[in-house]
Amino acid sequence: MFRKLVVLPVIQSGCIPLVEGVHDVNYLSEGLFQGFALIFSGNEEVWSAVMVTLKLSGLSMLVTLLVGVPAGFALGYFSFPGKGFFRLLVDTLLSIPTVVVGLFVYAFISNRGPLGSFQLLFTIPGMAIGQTILALPIVVALTASAVESADRRLSYTLLTLGARGRRLLLSTLWEGRHQILLAAVTAYGRVTAEVGVSMMLGGNIKWHTRTVTTAITLETGKGEFSTGIALGVLLLSLSFVLNWAVSFLRRRGAA
Amino acid sequence: MTTPPLYELNDIVCAYEGEPVLEIASLSIAAEGPLAFVGHNGSGKSTLLKLLAFLLPPVSGTLRFLGEYPERLDDARLQTTLLLQDPYLLRRSVFENVAYGLKARGSRDIRNRVIESLEMVGLSGDFARREWYQLSGGEARRVALASRLVLRTKVLMLDEPTANVDEENAQLIAEAILDAWKRWDTTPLIATHDLQWLDTVTQRRIFMRRGKIERIAL
Repeated sequence: MFRKLVVLPVIQSGCIPLVEGVHDVNYLSEGLFQGFALIFSGNEEVWSAVMVTLKLSGLSMLVTLLVGVPAGFALGYFSFPGKGFFRLLVDTLLSIPTVVVGLFVYAFISNRGPLGSFQLLFTIPGMAIGQTILALPIVVALTASAVESADRRLSYTLLTLGARGRRLLLSTLWEGRHQILLAAVTAYGRVTAEVGVSMMLGGNIKWHTRTVTTAITLETGKGEFSTGIALGVLLLSLSFVLNWAVSFLRRRGAA
Repeated sequence: MTTPPLYELNDIVCAYEGEPVLEIASLSIAAEGPLAFVGHNGSGKSTLLKLLAFLLPPVSGTLRFLGEYPERLDDARLQTTLLLQDPYLLRRSVFENVAYGLKARGSRDIRNRVIESLEMVGLSGDFARREWYQLSGGEARRVALASRLVLRTKVLMLDEPTANVDEENAQLIAEAILDAWKRWDTTPLIATHDLQWLDTVTQRRIFMRRGKIERIAL
């Protein structure tokens, strides 16, 4: 509706001059203008990509947090043989390229792979496996760091108050909740911004596995900048909300 | 039947990284009122409190608590508590901080006991709603003390309780410690070098120097 009422008349009336020399500026401003129009007009294709992105990142983060927080806590809290090696491994995986993860998981879930019978390729759960592998090292490493850097008086305080067993562990974890939330937000940023895993494992199938980032890649390739910009704006908005949450949590953590 | 002393220490040696920092041949501590460990920095006062709070196991020697060798340190810790020199408040509300130890013990009547303890350190019940980051340094120390008083343990240990505390707060701490002793027979064991403040609490003192007991004045 917005597009019909505002965008098209503006373009048709010739308000956007097609004069040589200002061509580049128009080309960008037109894309931006139409991008906003697509968002507010509720374009189904745009919102389908947004919904797939939210479903996919939600599933990836759920598994990442369920596995990553306990694993990170154990890595930071306990001493055990090989701890240094595990720490090094997790730190190394922090910078693993998304296409390498895509390739690795593809080999496992494609029809000829060991998990081929589960038919996970080009599905959201299949993509979530790849994104979980991307996000897990972030949550494990940052949770371990949060526990390791906890105030040295914390354990004495909990013990002298009578905490023991599970209560002692959970209270230690709870004291580091702001840093763990930061870890979760950082990991969420990584999974929503990646292209490699989604493209290789999802196949960028319209209405099914097309995410915001793979849609931007496709639309830009087709020369459909307005759709690409609309999706980019939505992704930036999500990033803004996440960064606002991070700065809020930092303030609370430092208070 | 005679009541056993709170602690009996024999041939105790505590060490950090292989270096002995506390050596006590023999010491008996009875529940006869507040007792202070006096000495300069590095005299072993804080280490002794950590040993008595079952936070630091000795390298050698024996430690009896209420006439028995504690089998489980977790159980022994429920009857003692220690307020560190620079107390740590949990990242929670004042109420949650003071109630934490009671919840860990499965106690009842938590709300009334929390308010009672806060009032013992000169803080009103309304204070319970504040968050940990809304407190001044003096208030945080009083809340930390309230979180120990509320436990009504056999022993309440305090490491330099008047460090960085103004006179008014120091007086409140002294009154609260003596109140706990009178009300619940909670024996205060205090490590300090603030002799002027200590005069308002007790004359029972153990002087320490370089990790050893120099003189006992009971």
